[in-house]
Amino acid sequence: MITDAYGSTIQSFRVRVLRQDCPGASPYWQSFDVEYESDMNVISVLQRIAAKPRTRDGRETTPIAWDCGCLEEVCGACTMVINGRVRQSCSALVDKLLAEHPQEIVLEPMSKFPVVRDLMVDRGRVFRALQKVKAWVPVDGYFDLGPGPRQSRAQQEVAYPLSECMSCGCCLEACPQYTKVEVPRATNETDESYQQRLHGTYDQSFIGAHAISQAMLFNAHPVGRWNAGERLEALTAPGGVQVCGNAQNCVAVCPKNIPLTTSIAQAGRAVTLHKLRQLFGW
Amino acid sequence: MSESFFVKHDFLLRRLHSLSGLVPVGAYMVVHLLANASILNGVDAFQNVVYVIHSLGNALWIVEWVFIFIPILFHAALGFVFMFQARHNTQRYPYVSNFRYRLQRITGMIAFVFILWHVLHLNGLIHAEWFRATIADGLGIAQFRPYNAASTAAEALQSPWVVGLYALGLLACVYHFANGLWTMGITWGVWITPRAQAWASRVCMGLGGLVAAIGLCALIGFWRVDIERARERELEMYRQRVADGSILENPHKLSRPVEAGEPRSH
Repeated sequence: MITDAYGSTIQSFRVRVLRQDCPGASPYWQSFDVEYESDMNVISVLQRIAAKPRTRDGRETTPIAWDCGCLEEVCGACTMVINGRVRQSCSALVDKLLAEHPQEIVLEPMSKFPVVRDLMVDRGRVFRALQKVKAWVPVDGYFDLGPGPRQSRAQQEVAYPLSECMSCGCCLEACPQYTKVEVPRATNETDESYQQRLHGTYDQSFIGAHAISQAMLFNAHPVGRWNAGERLEALTAPGGVQVCGNAQNCVAVCPKNIPLTTSIAQAGRAVTLHKLRQLFGW
Repeated sequence: MSESFFVKHDFLLRRLHSLSGLVPVGAYMVVHLLANASILNGVDAFQNVVYVIHSLGNALWIVEWVFIFIPILFHAALGFVFMFQARHNTQRYPYVSNFRYRLQRITGMIAFVFILWHVLHLNGLIHAEWFRATIADGLGIAQFRPYNAASTAAEALQSPWVVGLYALGLLACVYHFANGLWTMGITWGVWITPRAQAWASRVCMGLGGLVAAIGLCALIGFWRVDIERARERELEMYRQRVADGSILENPHKLSRPVEAGEPRSH
């Protein structure tokens, strides 16, 4: 139960949302009063607003657009900036938010990705970076390769935390070196040529902590290791691990407590040795 | 798609930027501050260090440009390019490492302006006599004379404003060096786990504290020099060295009021 300054139970609370009607449109703020219920999260707040989309000053408006999936903090789809801090809205509980900041709850879309509408952003660059570093084990083929090598308990314990990454984008939102890249679509541009232009731009921009960490995960895998050299090449390509400025915000905001800065330092060592080997033919 | 030079050589440029901060720029700074601190052993000690440096003769300017000025300009130019790509967010994410990241960029800018001023103020960059006579003396730049090392350095460092700005510039340079050494160890993959990074941070900051103390002591040392007596002693040393043939006569490296070979009139 949340009480106000005088000790009585609150009836409603204020929610301020940074909205944007479509890509390229200018953002604007809207405030809503939401009736208090116990055990709400930010998703249920957005559902209440959608059911009765009326601003605090009584004007009818459109429901707020947002993205969500699992509702248990494992898919990353509902990531947004809540009271100035990036996190998943499903695990952002209203009681806790109001305890920390009783005046209002402020919701903003992530600032490092192009806004689709309101709180919905296009995280395509997150997944493009995973493609770039080949964050998978390529074992598909026409014949049976047999069982993979066994992994020791120690290897599993290193790999498991890294495998918890849900590509939510928190590490990227908090990173001062990761800056927004938005490629507006030209008129009469085909899907293919737009995609090519978009990926070309993404591929020159910083890949970010999540992709570096995934590259380290798959380079440590007994079969994934077969492609270690390709991943290290991707990590030293434009926008690779060298762009990291060691602000270390990524590891501080990661909702899964993934040791991202450890992965970054490991990647730093791996690419140092990789480049020296190339240079001197070791 | 045409890739810009910076994009194409992103990895190499950033790694060279990182390396140049330690070798030669950072290493030079430490040697420079240690050499300065010899003033604490007296005017003779400092003057002897300067004689050793100037024993390089005409090769000195090559050493200056190749190992000091060009690397600093390279490090600074790339630093400015990279710096303007950052979006600081210490207000939203007020973590210690985020402040350190921001301070690294602020001290980099201060260090660049300070070094530019410092080099003009004492060294002057252009050592030609005509430049010194027509421009440098009028502007009060290029005040250092290697064969009157302590007295000219002390003269330039008497105003409390100048000493204050030197202290600020020095601390900015040393923070940038010490914190840069720590991040360099992460970048190149020397210290990896959070525990190792925490220890490395303590060691780097300890080293920074030591280097800052050495630099500040040198600054105090110059401030306390008895300029008149220092000048006489330096002239004595100069004459001795010319007499025993260990240096050539070079009035260009002496301060203005003293003519080489003549006793100084009071």
